[in-house]
Amino acid sequence: MANPPLPSDDELIPRLLASDENAYTQVVAAYHGLMVHLARAIVGDAIADEVAQEAWVAVLRALPKFERRSSLKTWILRIVSNTAKSRLRHESRTVNLGDALEETPIVDPSRFKANAHWANPPAMWHADTPDALLASTELRRCIHEALDALPPLQRAAVTLRDMQGLNMEDICKVLEVSESNGRVLLHRARSRIQQAIEELEEK
Amino acid sequence: MPSCKDITEHGSDYLDRHMPWWKRPGYWMHLLVCVHCRRYIEQLRLTIETIGRSPDAAPPVVKTEEVQQIVQQLKQSAKKPANKPRDI
Repeated sequence: MANPPLPSDDELIPRLLASDENAYTQVVAAYHGLMVHLARAIVGDAIADEVAQEAWVAVLRALPKFERRSSLKTWILRIVSNTAKSRLRHESRTVNLGDALEETPIVDPSRFKANAHWANPPAMWHADTPDALLASTELRRCIHEALDALPPLQRAAVTLRDMQGLNMEDICKVLEVSESNGRVLLHRARSRIQQAIEELEEK
Repeated sequence: MPSCKDITEHGSDYLDRHMPWWKRPGYWMHLLVCVHCRRYIEQLRLTIETIGRSPDAAPPVVKTEEVQQIVQQLKQSAKKPANKPRDI
């Protein structure tokens, strides 16, 4: 569905507060796909739609108290993130949301010598462009599986940054993490996918 | 100058230009002299671009009927007395 350009937050928010049906339609058309995308990253495919719909009701209820410290889009995505995290905690009390503070190194330590320089450096890949990499069905599946295997907050960070193009400041607001933790989440996610590609390229 | 392991720990900060200014010269110097780390960083850059163009990167398409259904739910919800909203 091709959406017309969305009016500014200054124009939209009073109309949403006045229950203007056209304004509802415009924001839902503009943001629902992004909301489901983020919800999928945190809770998985099965309940992502439900989480996004639940988040819309929460958005509407909380809108009178929206303090405009971020854009409407960032604030809506933050509500999706909170709704998804609550849902995840409810479904499984032991879930590991993000392991931002885990101490494990980015690259397997056995690949470095005692002086922390490469013992087993990265080999050349067969492909050197995204298109060439993605031409392989096996590699597309490999990336999909690597994304699926990430902890929820790492998957959310990579979804928001590398897929939706949000800046780091907004990502940290959406996920309610510090900037340093946000960067760690993102780098760990990217590195795990890089490692998955590397393993396939070395076969 | 940072070690190769340091280079791998901060690759995203370097590529995203989030690295503090005082760390950049050492990082850059290391990349100048270390072919392995240049390859590592190039592969990280390629990974990031590939993630952004993978089929998983596209948000789901929302059909007009689905938009209308959610809008109707929101209208119903707006008519109901609100619970005390959470302070956002």
